[in-house]
Amino acid sequence: MTATAERAPAPPKLSPLGWLRKRLFQNVGSAVLSVTLIVILLYVVYRSLVFVVINGQWEAISRNLTLFMVGTFPRDQVWRLAAQALMLGLAFGIGVGTASGTARDKAKQAGLAYEPPLLAGTLKRFWSLIAFVLVLLTLAGTAGPWLVVGGAVLVGYIGWHSWRLPPSMRTLGWLLTALLFLAGFQVVSGTEGLAWLPVALVLAAASRLLVPVERLETPLRQLVSLGAPLVAAGVVYGIYQVIAAPGVGWDDWSGMILTLWWSAIVIVLAFPTGLMLALARRSTLPALRYLATTYIELIRGVPLITLLFMGQFMLGFMLPAGTVFSSITRSIAAGTLFTAAYVAEIVRGGLQSLPPGQMEAGQALGMGIPAIMRRIVLPQALRAVIPAMVGQFISLFKDSSLLFIIGATEFLGVRDLVHAQADFRVSAHAETLVFVAVGYWAIAFSMSRESQRLERRLGVGET
Amino acid sequence: MTSESTIFADATQAKGETIIECIDVDKFFGDFQALKDINLKVGRQEVIVVIGPSGSGKSTLIRCINRLEKHDRGTIIVDGIELSDDVRNIQEIRRETGMVFQQFNLFPHLTVIDNVTLAPRQVRRLPKKQADELAMEMLERVKIPEQAHKFPGQLSGGQQQRVAIARSLAMRPKVMLFDEPTSALDPEMIKEVLDVMVELATGGMTMIVVTHEMGFARAVADRVLFMADGEVVEVGTPLHFFENPQEDRTKLFLSQIL
Repeated sequence: MTATAERAPAPPKLSPLGWLRKRLFQNVGSAVLSVTLIVILLYVVYRSLVFVVINGQWEAISRNLTLFMVGTFPRDQVWRLAAQALMLGLAFGIGVGTASGTARDKAKQAGLAYEPPLLAGTLKRFWSLIAFVLVLLTLAGTAGPWLVVGGAVLVGYIGWHSWRLPPSMRTLGWLLTALLFLAGFQVVSGTEGLAWLPVALVLAAASRLLVPVERLETPLRQLVSLGAPLVAAGVVYGIYQVIAAPGVGWDDWSGMILTLWWSAIVIVLAFPTGLMLALARRSTLPALRYLATTYIELIRGVPLITLLFMGQFMLGFMLPAGTVFSSITRSIAAGTLFTAAYVAEIVRGGLQSLPPGQMEAGQALGMGIPAIMRRIVLPQALRAVIPAMVGQFISLFKDSSLLFIIGATEFLGVRDLVHAQADFRVSAHAETLVFVAVGYWAIAFSMSRESQRLERRLGVGET
Repeated sequence: MTSESTIFADATQAKGETIIECIDVDKFFGDFQALKDINLKVGRQEVIVVIGPSGSGKSTLIRCINRLEKHDRGTIIVDGIELSDDVRNIQEIRRETGMVFQQFNLFPHLTVIDNVTLAPRQVRRLPKKQADELAMEMLERVKIPEQAHKFPGQLSGGQQQRVAIARSLAMRPKVMLFDEPTSALDPEMIKEVLDVMVELATGGMTMIVVTHEMGFARAVADRVLFMADGEVVEVGTPLHFFENPQEDRTKLFLSQIL
């Protein structure tokens, strides 16, 4: 039960020859099996090497790298993507730094030693992504991509040093991360229309944390706690009226950019929606419960591809006349509706796995249901379902390739553009497929590894 | 027996000012009647030990007092507030009533100190600093301040149960309910928990304790309630139960546990 579990003595180390003899050639059966497998393995490696190094016509990739990454994105606007890469790099760096800082604060408080994450560890964490990016850069052969990636890594590294800031700055760190992330999005999409809304929401939420409401007198406290978010939202709205500038809307995004952003947006929208659905399905109000159950069961019985089509052709009937949404917006809606139903079922599983005593302990302390949910039930339930949830998100990420059916040119769809070129009409089909597969894999594999890591880290103290 | 035991032989008579009152309380689980016509008065600073075979309704009784179970008939009044369906009423009563569970029910994702400060911060809106000070004071009381930054999973059962007691005390309750607090513990850890409970009792806390620890009952209980089949069968001082139990069911039960 305690942390001081005894460690089993390490087995004696074998010499390489001894290892071979013991593990591969212990008896005739295992020797035959080993030899057979080694031969097959060597053959596969040989054929792969021949394909990659000798026969592969990789010009299909290297000449179309920009196409694979940004697709039909207007070429004179590509500087926006470079700016985005830098902002996201900084956002990521500050985010990771703030998270590390929080871990350090906690360790300090508990009187434990804290070691900041090492560079080697970070490289290992994201090795599949890093390897993929390096392959891209090598194939590109021009200075531009190197500068952008190098710049993003550099600002990320600088931002990461925010872990050295004092604990009182953590909220600010998270706020900055969120704002930089949104800025990175909007430097491409522009600041017109509803662009102010997400920024206003972030700042409104932050105003509750940053204004020291607790120190105020009671009547003033209520005024401020209601007023501060409104003022923050209002100020943001005002600023956005001034800085409104057109950008490149997501209807013109394609290639890897579209694949990544589409998946990210759907995940960000589907998670809270699914959470609400799961809670509604377990509600004591029958109307809410039946509504949620019906929705979940309906959606789960329909393939995503059908929903995407329905989003294109039927969403218009259900909305007031005159509302026009672009096809990407409608596909985001369809993807969100689809994923939310699965997230709801996953979360419900987590809620059910929690012993009823946890809820009762909260109730017995006089806590209200919202506080019990937020502080006791959900943190544990969500932790329990991280693997299933990330699995769902990974499959959504891969399903983004279905966007081709609504005419969007996502990462896989770029292949069609490449093979429409005279040089590659009949050749290099295998090469482009392998490239796209490796691209998907590099990202999906990183997601899966990060989920394992998150699960371990949140499992602190549980034995 | 002495006149003292006859005074306390009635469950509806409390010493001093009444803080908990149950009048004709019935509770059903489906067709099964878990509580039959319970009448009970508990006085301020009184310590009541409830004993009885399993399935006799002991736990159900104290779980009705803080509304973890809803009683079906009768009236329960805690500190002048009658339990009704009004959520605010229920929360009011739960704030005044601490509960310690057989399985501890600590929050495994929070450190010990966060377990203790959670309710004061969420319910009483204490600022973090004050809540932390309060929590350390409570952890001193149960004698494990040095474990404040560990997680529950790193503690022994006895330590966990003491954290659970500290967590309840941090809400400064007027009444403490204990639902078999030592039944899930290894024998060598029972004493450390009972010691804390004895200290609480001698400090003047009103307590209802479901337990089979007759040593605890003898040390601090004002009255012992024997329950069987959802009814209060016999009430008396601990001495009464040791020396002169009246009912056959009581005698049988005591012969099995003593």
